[in-house]
Formats: sequence, structure tokens, C-alpha cells
Amino acid sequence: MGTGPSPADVAGAAALVGLPGMTPVRLARLLDSWRPAEAWAAVAAGRHPAGRDPRWAGVASGTEPAAVADRYREAGVEVLLPTDPRYPARLVGDPGAPAVLLCLGDATAAWPGPAVAIVGTRSATPYGEQVAAELGRDLASAGVAVVSGLALGIDAAAHAGALAAAGERGRPVAVAGTGLDVPYPRSNSRLWAGVAAAGAVLAEVPLGSPPRRGAFPARNRIIAALADVVVVVECHLGGGALHTAEAAARRGIPVVAVPGSVRSAASRGTNGLLVDGCAPVRDVGDVLVAVSLARAGREPPPPAARSGGFPSATGRVRSSRAPGAPGGARSADADAGSGACPVDGAPAAAVWSALAGEPRTTAALAEATGLPVVELARACRHLLRAGAVVEGPGWWRRR
Amino acid sequence: MLASIPSAVLHGVDGIPVAVEVHVSNGLPGFTVVGLPDAAVRESRDRVRAALLSTGLPWPLRRVTVNLAPSGFRKGGAGLDLPIAVGLLVAAGELAPVSVDGLAFAGELGLDGSLRAVPGALAVAAAVAGATVVLPEASASEAFGAVPGEVRCASHLGELVTRLRAGQPLRRPAPAPVVPDTAPAAPDLAELRGQALGRRALEVAAAGGHHLLLVGPPGSGKTMLASALAGILPTLPPPVSLEVRLVRSAAGLAAEPGTRPPFRAPHPGASAVSILGGGAPGLRPGEISLAHGGVLFLDEMGEFPAAVLDALRQPLEEGRIRVCRARATVELPARFVLVGAMNPCPCGEGGTPGACRCSAASRARYGRRLSGPLLDRFDVAVRVERPGGTALVGAEGGEPSVTVAGRVAAARAQAAARGVRTNAELPAADLDRLAPVDGTARDLLAAEVGRGALTGRGLVRVRRVARTIADLAGEPGPVGSDHVEEALLLRCRRDLLLGGDR
Repeated sequence: MGTGPSPADVAGAAALVGLPGMTPVRLARLLDSWRPAEAWAAVAAGRHPAGRDPRWAGVASGTEPAAVADRYREAGVEVLLPTDPRYPARLVGDPGAPAVLLCLGDATAAWPGPAVAIVGTRSATPYGEQVAAELGRDLASAGVAVVSGLALGIDAAAHAGALAAAGERGRPVAVAGTGLDVPYPRSNSRLWAGVAAAGAVLAEVPLGSPPRRGAFPARNRIIAALADVVVVVECHLGGGALHTAEAAARRGIPVVAVPGSVRSAASRGTNGLLVDGCAPVRDVGDVLVAVSLARAGREPPPPAARSGGFPSATGRVRSSRAPGAPGGARSADADAGSGACPVDGAPAAAVWSALAGEPRTTAALAEATGLPVVELARACRHLLRAGAVVEGPGWWRRR
Repeated sequence: MLASIPSAVLHGVDGIPVAVEVHVSNGLPGFTVVGLPDAAVRESRDRVRAALLSTGLPWPLRRVTVNLAPSGFRKGGAGLDLPIAVGLLVAAGELAPVSVDGLAFAGELGLDGSLRAVPGALAVAAAVAGATVVLPEASASEAFGAVPGEVRCASHLGELVTRLRAGQPLRRPAPAPVVPDTAPAAPDLAELRGQALGRRALEVAAAGGHHLLLVGPPGSGKTMLASALAGILPTLPPPVSLEVRLVRSAAGLAAEPGTRPPFRAPHPGASAVSILGGGAPGLRPGEISLAHGGVLFLDEMGEFPAAVLDALRQPLEEGRIRVCRARATVELPARFVLVGAMNPCPCGEGGTPGACRCSAASRARYGRRLSGPLLDRFDVAVRVERPGGTALVGAEGGEPSVTVAGRVAAARAQAAARGVRTNAELPAADLDRLAPVDGTARDLLAAEVGRGALTGRGLVRVRRVARTIADLAGEPGPVGSDHVEEALLLRCRRDLLLGGDR
């Protein structure tokens, strides 16, 4: 150790990862007590005790490991082995540690220093995306590495927030479920490039891997293992973010959750975590306490720090997918129930108060306000013209 | 010995006159039917023979040739049994030709000589104008009083022959029972709790003849709403009522006179022919024709085969469906209000952001099940919700259907004064003349088009719906901004089906 693995081992590891049908578990077994170069030679010769896949010997004998390594070098992807000093220290000794970790960007971004994972659902509400973005930004500003999975929704918002605090100490780290040259979902490719430039994008599947169902839950264990604390922002019952929380709990890593409306399906999982005893997160201060960067019993931060005009990073992410929400999320009035109705008239006030906290469909608004449809239409569109609400297809929410 | 008996066969919903010519001559005993008979007609030889023998009449042991004229098109159905039997009796000398003079026959024979009902008796009776038509007792009442000619009936071949031989008058059928209009009652709107938006959408759809799309999770009452629509549509005017009876009669359903608009809800698994009409050789009317004058409800619309949904576009446009087959083409009436119901997304929970967990790709796939051109036919679309607790137990029921139907009828009368059947048929080119908008409404619409929320085609649909809303409000003047605002709220947008939050 110390000097790192030999080029032959790196090339062998790169070649092994790319074998057809290779999984993290099989790879770990292949490299259990073999050096990568030896394991590769044994697989190619068909004499590795764990190398039973009938396809492997044929593929391996026709593959030159050095050429594979060159391909990774050309793509700017580092091949990290646990013996490499740049391999994340948090993963060394982890029971589910990837035997080979691929890295786009700065391999040392993930360590040392504190790291917090921000995870959650792909179909997030504007509330969840705002909270994730604020936490990402504030944690990055506080020098904490933000770890996430580059999925839609919470993941993307968290990293967009972290990137918005660019130039400060905390660096974004992403763990992808696809090959490092396959940004997925494609709408996140700019964000993907931004994270790779400012920090690192990690993966355990080879270049060119398409999105596969099992790969995303598998990478969740790496997200959990890389973090000091896992923050679940918004999550449905049985959602994928709960897998991350479970992986963290098994490793003794604290899980904290952002409370949400009891009516919102997107907050059922997180509210359930709170019931199960996870600490609630109100703002970045609670997370910093959990990572021991701040002391409990602190004063609440001034409102300005929480609700400052949010940078364009989230706006960019959101506007690419949400035609009904131009200009990105403004967090100022997001707190449920607050704020006077910006339009005169009782119908408008009824609509405004019914929209506190969560978006509602037109039918739900009609039921909540009891207004005749003519008046409801007039009130909604009046609020829309005043810029106070946003209209989606069949639903409305406060801006 | 030759006899020619007038009859008719069913083609779509129309009867086509057929002369049944029977020739009996010496020669090797045999029985041949020519003139493009289908399998059911060829089988009539055996039914006729058994019926004659059971009735105590002789079967001529001579050469029998039956010709169905005109011979150019294929004739189907068992309704030719009776004319063949009567023709045979006349040609064989068992009946005097004068006794069947001026009579036409249609009906199916049982082996015991009894006369069985035939589908489309109404159309068949209408086709043999000029003659007195003799029908089986079971089908005669539906034709009685609905056709210009005389209708007589019999229940058994023996009875018929006895009366004809004796020169006795044939029986008149009993008039069809008048079914009270409350019989297959649609659910009353008063039974619906909550659903203010869905209720209003129904009223607008009924008043303007606008096709309606209901999007909502399972259990949100889409089916209930759709079936309540039939209860607020205006009653059928006599010509439409007759068309409805013709279609029902041709489909072999009870065809009593009535003015209640039909409600048909075919299952997504139904075959294309059963929904659109067709089938050899009579080209039976399908569900869309049975819905003529009323409501066609397609629940789980995305589950219907794409070919069926696309074939709906022509009837939605023209109010008729042309069923074309290699040998024949028929036009069937099919002017209905289409009510489609769909879940917002595969999991059914979509609506507001965060509510649904389907992936964007699966939602997009689901939304694509309705093609753009079909979605364009829906003027009104609303998301409906499961009613909340307060609405379900609230003491206050909604407005009853009678009140709403009154407004609908008044609104339709205003549309009729404009020279169109319904506002949904207002021609796009004449909107400024027939349905002008006032200044503020014009500015509002221009602003919506300006911000890209309305396309040209969407603008036309919003203006038609706004006119209907103004008619419902009793507003004779130009369409105002309030009406336009409501029409905008009720308009159909493609993204309603894409889960809504992406």
C-alpha cells in the first residue's frame, strides 16, 4: 500500500468490471484473495474458482486489459482499487464496498472532511425540491461534501444547490447507477458534468452501462457508506430512498429526515422515519449538529439565511422539466399558511388559503372552497395573472 | 307454377326489399335456393320442410327452385323462412294466389311451425312499403304504428294458412307497450356528493354536445358522473327517437318507442366490430350506433385498442359511421356525446406534484394511448377527485337532474336559434358571427394565445365551450370574460394525461 496498485492491476480491474454479466458481488468474490492482474489471467485461462461464467473465458481471451485501461484513461475515468490511497477511506472495510470504483472528476473529493448524503424521491413536490436545494447549498457553504445519486427530483435539487455554492469548500460527490459516460436521466446531463467538474461522479459499473433496474438500489449502499449522515428529504412509502436509509442504519450512520405535510404522499416515507425515531431536520443547522459541526441548542438562523433568493441552479433544473413553473422556485412564501392573499376578494382569499402548503387539483379546490365553478375560475385566473399562483395541468399551487 | 312473395332483409339499419320467387315443376325432387343466400337462408330449407310437415301441410315431392331477387347482393338471416314457406304453398297450389295478394311476409320458422321474432322487423316493415306486412307476433308490435303501411301478425304457420284459406282477416298486433320514461333511470345528480367540478363539466357537455374527458383515480366517481349525463340530456325528438328504434331493432334489442337518450358503456375488451358495427352479412350496428342520440361512455379509455379509438374519429366528426366491407357498405347513425374516462397515470394517483410514483417514461407511454387527433375531439376535460369525508357525509345533496336538465334544454334552444344542432358544431370560420366575444374576453383570449397557453385549435374549442357556458347563464349577448375564464378552466389539455407534474 502507500504507493498504490500497479498499472497491471488497474488494467486487470478495468477489464474485469467490463465482463458480461459482472455484478458487484461476483467482482468482490473474484478479487477476494486475488490481485486483479492474477484474477484476470486466471479468468482468461478458465481456472479461477469463482470465474464460472461460461462466457468469461472466451471474452477474456479476446480482450487486452491494457487497451481497456487506455479507454478509461481517454474518458478521464480513474479506476480505483481499495489499495489505492485515493480510494475513499470510508469505504475501506465496509462490508459492501465495491472492489473496483470508477471515478470521473477528482477522486479525493469524497474524503477527508465531513460528508452528508441528501436523498429522496424522484417525483418530488416543489417543497421537497426547494428544501433539498437549500440544504445542498448551505451544506456546501459549510464545507460539507454533498453526496447524492443524480436522479430526478430530490437528488438533482440537492446537487444543483451544492453547485450553486461553487467555490466554497464542500464538494459535490455523486454515485451513479449507469456507466460514467451514460448520464441518466439525460435531462440531468448538465448537472452531471457540473458535479464531475466540481467534485466527483463515482460508479461501480463499467463505461457504457445502460440504466438497469437493480443498479440503482445497489449504488444506494455506496451513497450511505460515503456519508457521515443521511438526510432523507422527501420519500414515498417503500421508496428507494428508504433503502439508502436502511443501508445507513445497518452501518450505524445516523439518518435524519425532513418533515412534510401529512397529506402529501411524497412525505409519507419521511414522516414514517420520524415516527421510527429519526431526528427531524428543519434546516442546515440540524444537519450540522448531526455531523457534529455545530452544537445543539444553537439559536435558529435568521430568516434571511434560510429564504434568500434561490440561485438559478435549481431554476435550470426545474425549468427543463416543469413548463408550468417558469423562473425556478422562490422559497419566500413556501412556508405553509403564511402570507396574505395578494388579490382582493373573498373567492380569491379562499383559493389562496386552500393552496397553503400543497398543490391542489381544480376539483379539490372546488371541494375545499365550496365556490361555484364560475367563481373558482375567476379567482384562480385572477391569482394567476397577479403572479401569485402557478397553473399546472389540472392543478394549482402557490408560487 | 310460380309464386312471388314480397319480403325484405336487413342491411345495416335499413331494410332492402327482396322478392322471394318460388318455382315448382316436375323433375327430380329437390330444393335449390339461388340469389346469393347465406348459410342461414340455405338452412331455411330444413326449417321450412319440418314446419310444413308439423303443420300438416304437404312437402311437394317435385323440383323446387327459390330465387331471391335482386340476386346481386348477399341475403342473410332467418327472416326469409316465412316468405319461402308461403311462396312454396302458393306455387304448390295449397294456397290461392289471390289470398296472398298485397301481402308481404317476414319471419323465422320453428320446426313446429311457430313463428319466431326477427331482428330489424321495424326496418323490414318500412322497406316493403305499399304492401301489408305480416310479421311474427313477437316482432310485430315494434313495427306497429311506426311504419306507414299496415302490419298484421300471426304466431303460427298453421294459424296463418287457416286464415288465408278461409279468407279471414289477419290479426292486428297489440301496440307496443309505452315504456314510461323513468324506466331505466340514469342516476340523479342529486345522489352525487361533492364533485362540483365534474357536475359542472357534465352540465356544459350536455348543453353544448361537447365530448367530455374525465381524468381521475379509481373510485373518484367517473362512471357515476358519466351515467348521470344521460339523465340531463334533452329528450329525443321524434325523428331521432325513430332512428334509435331502428338501430335497436336491427341489433335485435327491444325497440319500444321512447324519448330517453341511450347510454352505452362497452367494455374495453369488446371487439372492434361490436363497437363500430359490421359483421356478415347484415352489418349489425355496433355500440356507437346504439349510443346514437345519447351517451357513449368509454371507461378506461386507454385500454381500448388503438384501432378502435382511431376509428371513432369519423363518427365524431360526421355523426355517422360508414362500415365498408368487400361486398357492401352501410351508413349507420352514430351521433353521440362521447365521455371518456382514464386514470391520470398507471398508478392512478397522479394529480398534483409528488402524488404519483410512476416514472416519467411510463406516464408518457400511458398518455400516448390517446392519439392527439382523438384528444382534439374533447372540448371539455376535468380531473375528478375522490370526494373527501366532508363531501360524502355532508347533508346537502347536489342539484337534482331535473333542474340541470331544464337549463340544458334552454341552452340547447339558444344553440338551435343559431342554426346548429349544438354549440360543439359551431363552424370555426363563423365563430365571430355566430358566437361573438366582448372586448375584455377578446383581450383575455389574446393574452392566453400570446403566452402560449392556447393553440389556434384550442382557441376555437374554448370559444365554443364559452358560448355554451354563456347560454347556460341565459346570456343572449356576446360571450363575456367570465364565460371564457370558466371555459379555460374546463379545457382539455394534453398534459392532463401525463401525470401532471412534469
